[in-house]
Amino acid sequence: MEDRHQQLRQQWLAAIAAATDAESLAALETRLFGPKGEVVELVRSVTTLPKEQRPAFGKASNQLKGEIEQALQQAMQRQRGLALQRELAAGDFDPTEPGPSQPCGSLHPITIVQHELVDLFTSMGFTWADGPEVESEHFNFDALNIPGDHPARESQDTFWLDDRNLLRTHTSPVQVRTMLRCTKDGFEPPLKVIVPGRCFRAETVDKSHEHTFYQMEGLVVDRGVSTANLIHTMKTCLRVILGRSDLKVRLRPGFFPFVEPGFELDVNCPFCRGDDGDSRGCSVCKHSGWIEILPCGMVHPRVLREGGIDPEEYTAFAFGMGLQRVVMLRYGIDDIRLFMGGDLRFLRQFPEVSR
Amino acid sequence: MKLSLRWLQRHVDLSGIEPRQILADLTMSTAEIDGITRFGEGLECVVVGHVLRRDKHPGADRLSVCAVEFGDGVPVQIVCGAPNVATGQKVAVVRPGSTLPAVPASPATTARPATPIAATKIRGVESFGMICSEQELGLSADHDGILVLPPDAPAGARLVDVLPIQDHVFEIDNKSINHRPDLWGHRGFARELAAIYGRTLSPAPASVPLPAAGRQVQVHIDDHKGCPRYCGLVLDGVVAGKSPPELRYLLAAVGQRAINLPVDVTNFVMLDLGQPMHAFDLERIGARSVHVRFARGGERMTTLDGVERELAGSDLLICADDEPVALAGIMGGAGTMVGADTKALFLESANFHAATIRRSSMRLGLRSDASARFEKAQDPANAELAVHHFVRLLQRWCPSATVAGPLSDPAGNRVEPKTVALRRARLRGKLGVALDDARVAAILGALEFGVRVTAEGWEVVVPSFRATKDISGEDDLIEEVGRMFRYDNIPEVPLRSAVVPPARDEELFLVRRLLEVAAGDLATSEVYNYSFVPDAVLQAATGHATAAPYLRVQNPTAPDTTRIRRHVLPSLLASARGNLREFATIRLMEHGKGYHGEVRDQHGLPGEVRELGFVFATRQGPHPYPELREAIARLLRRVGCPVELARAWAGSDQPWVHPHRSVAIERGGVEVGYVAHLHPAVAAAMDLPTTTAIACIDVRALLRGGSVATKFEPLPVYPRLPVDVALLVDAATQVGAVAAFLQRIEPQLVRQVQLFEVYRGERLPPGKKSLNFTVTLGAHDRTLQDADEARYLGLVRERVAEIGGELRG
Repeated sequence: MEDRHQQLRQQWLAAIAAATDAESLAALETRLFGPKGEVVELVRSVTTLPKEQRPAFGKASNQLKGEIEQALQQAMQRQRGLALQRELAAGDFDPTEPGPSQPCGSLHPITIVQHELVDLFTSMGFTWADGPEVESEHFNFDALNIPGDHPARESQDTFWLDDRNLLRTHTSPVQVRTMLRCTKDGFEPPLKVIVPGRCFRAETVDKSHEHTFYQMEGLVVDRGVSTANLIHTMKTCLRVILGRSDLKVRLRPGFFPFVEPGFELDVNCPFCRGDDGDSRGCSVCKHSGWIEILPCGMVHPRVLREGGIDPEEYTAFAFGMGLQRVVMLRYGIDDIRLFMGGDLRFLRQFPEVSR
Repeated sequence: MKLSLRWLQRHVDLSGIEPRQILADLTMSTAEIDGITRFGEGLECVVVGHVLRRDKHPGADRLSVCAVEFGDGVPVQIVCGAPNVATGQKVAVVRPGSTLPAVPASPATTARPATPIAATKIRGVESFGMICSEQELGLSADHDGILVLPPDAPAGARLVDVLPIQDHVFEIDNKSINHRPDLWGHRGFARELAAIYGRTLSPAPASVPLPAAGRQVQVHIDDHKGCPRYCGLVLDGVVAGKSPPELRYLLAAVGQRAINLPVDVTNFVMLDLGQPMHAFDLERIGARSVHVRFARGGERMTTLDGVERELAGSDLLICADDEPVALAGIMGGAGTMVGADTKALFLESANFHAATIRRSSMRLGLRSDASARFEKAQDPANAELAVHHFVRLLQRWCPSATVAGPLSDPAGNRVEPKTVALRRARLRGKLGVALDDARVAAILGALEFGVRVTAEGWEVVVPSFRATKDISGEDDLIEEVGRMFRYDNIPEVPLRSAVVPPARDEELFLVRRLLEVAAGDLATSEVYNYSFVPDAVLQAATGHATAAPYLRVQNPTAPDTTRIRRHVLPSLLASARGNLREFATIRLMEHGKGYHGEVRDQHGLPGEVRELGFVFATRQGPHPYPELREAIARLLRRVGCPVELARAWAGSDQPWVHPHRSVAIERGGVEVGYVAHLHPAVAAAMDLPTTTAIACIDVRALLRGGSVATKFEPLPVYPRLPVDVALLVDAATQVGAVAAFLQRIEPQLVRQVQLFEVYRGERLPPGKKSLNFTVTLGAHDRTLQDADEARYLGLVRERVAEIGGELRG
């Protein structure tokens, strides 16, 4: 009897030692401990023995069973450890292998920048407003202190429509529209509004000129608003918009009929970082070291009056920003025609949402 | 416009100030400067030579062999081709080893590259240098012969030390001085510089005494609005020869071609004071009187550029009796111009109505230095001042010239000086900085404003040269003070205002969400198209339908692009066509406005729609319509505007929609758009695949439906039981009807009915289709069993006749 157990022990331990992978170990487990497994059968076979042999046989069988069980578990654990090691050491993984392609959409780069500007200005309490692209002569010109024989009407190369209306030449008409809306039921200062939108000028399209362009108008009306406030607001915003901590601005005279005084706001050239010192600049800033980016000014009293606001009680500043300019500076785009070209090879280069 | 530094110095001493500094300071206080160039740059190598002897070249008739010395008495042999070279002359020579500098192109000079000079042999004769003409030196277009220098020019000296040549030239951005008539001459800029640097502006040109009697041309002004002032003067004893170098080189430096002395002096006065003048040959005017009148329709005249022009009633004319002799303020006539034989002048120095001149000049396509100035609204006082300036200058260079009689000035100067009050508080309030009174008075005084201190501030008298256009009110004076103080010196101050949440324009924010979700979830790319639609695109998109009324541009950039779009789809389809050449499958969207002229608001503006259009197209494979339909439904759920897609679209204004394969996007029964197949005829006309799906959302209609607040639904306590149901129905039966049937036969248990497949195939009887649904059952009080599924399928089988179908499998 002892011999038999001894023989089985050796036989089973050898089988355990021979099983080196998960499948053969699992098969061995079934063979030994399954419903009709050899170990189970051995233990069960005690019933076939004479009563007096049973205790010894039972004890020996159970001992053997425990021993084999432990050996098998150890083997399985060792095998799992080895398998894990093999898996962790696998050299067949290719980090550059792509998965199935995911379709990707994109927003127009002007939309992206426009949304960012909206986020910035609304966070400072500005309202986002809009106005019609087909505009009346009154709002586009008369209400903005550009009377009938003013050369600005011609120099702006207006697209005139057959119904005596026009395609707005700037977003400024929305200044007066917004003031009128805010003064209809009594004016409660402050009025702070931005108007990004599409404008038109009858120009021949080339690499740097477009007849359809995007502007963002801004207007602040309150008691005691001054040029000093304009400078601060513009500086703060441009720093964020252009994402530059080295930003310098300069304010110089500029003429626009709807502001007095009027300014051109320049920023130091982001390409040559030039300033008005000895720098000879680069071709982007035409060797001046500065880039003209933002016409602005203190709103003309006549314009405030058109909007129903008393220019003695309130003052205001306004600014207009060419969005294409900002987008081109940001992405390094050198051909303005791409914006209206509808070419996906261009548009798909901007998969991001607004920052 | 070009400004010469040498010229500016005639009015204000700018010594010790670098030209680049002047550029910077003018930019910050006055006007935009495009750049600085140098006139006569590189001419330092040109020296004065003394021609000791001139011999004929032995081998060429037209050449001379000269012996030239340079102050050391040593003769140097130079071969010269000019006909006017002669013994004893002082000439300009470039010697071997030096380089004659390049000459840029300008109206006054002839462009030429830099030319190195070397010792050479010309027709066998050695030549050690080059005797130069003015053209070769870049001083004028004159190439009749070599430049002959004054006899007292010391041989060996540098040319640039002998003649007033070298100059710095500022290029002014004309757009930045459109509102400043006073800046269209050197004196205006000199005044600015005097104010900027605190230097003294030289006195204005003084009057010359004019005779009280004598020859005069009678002047009659028909229209005083068109011509507020006309000064005329007769001059005798004029010699219309070549102008002296000091005049010619100043003109050349600013790009003005020299013609003859009287004409050059009129140009000089214009570039000096901004007042255009015209000199007529008096003989050609004869005894006639001058009339300023508007042209009669159909009248014609030939301007001095030799072009015959047809005139309109809005063109103002200068006439000798009735014969037009000049287009007022624009250009003189060919018949009366000053020529070499002119002995007497009739000088015109007038003032014309700015808009009249501008319109004529634009209508005729004829822009001149004169029209550019008059259209800025010149100062009538300047007309008289310029006459005196002209007389003084002409007599200096042509001493024989005399004034023949008194000034004709029938209108006189009737402009009253303008006075504007400037309040200290307003100045401080608008600039945001307090300036002391003395500073303010000094700035205004330097700009030649009259200043009187009052209790509240200042009483300011506006000089006439600023009163015609840009200075009319208090805020205009604030600009004057601000720009001379320099805006850069204003310390920045943060805005201080009540903190209130900004009003929200929901429409704009809705569009933004739609775009962002569509770009993200729907993988759609945003396109911008022009608001104009080319005729060809419209024809292709609407050709089979009657044309809707389009607004039209009167001055289009291209003759076939006059219409303003009513909807975004046609141009978006054109974008799709281009992109399908590059990509097999595309998803495009465009947000934009369309205009409908048949609807008007209270201001007479056309009706406006704000649309979001979509095109999903693929060159091959299944039709993208089902994808687009689900994409739109998902998009609108995502932005809080769930919609119903059930009824066929009934719109008529958009003929590119397939008449039978479209679904209306509805909110509470109100149509807000459509999803559809592209009309096959449009697909063919636009060269697009029939596998093109389109959608359009009217954003304002969508917004009117309001947004729906999502409501929480408790999670089910008992598990749900999905049951697959396949129904064979007529091909015409709508999925919506079948889904409703599956719902209504057990409304208590059915939680969701979802179609997962439509099968149309050979294995089915003709005219039939199989709709395969997953119906999700769920009870609120128990776990459903197989028996519940069997009972539900039993109900379906029992009642399926209601929809004319049968249960499969």
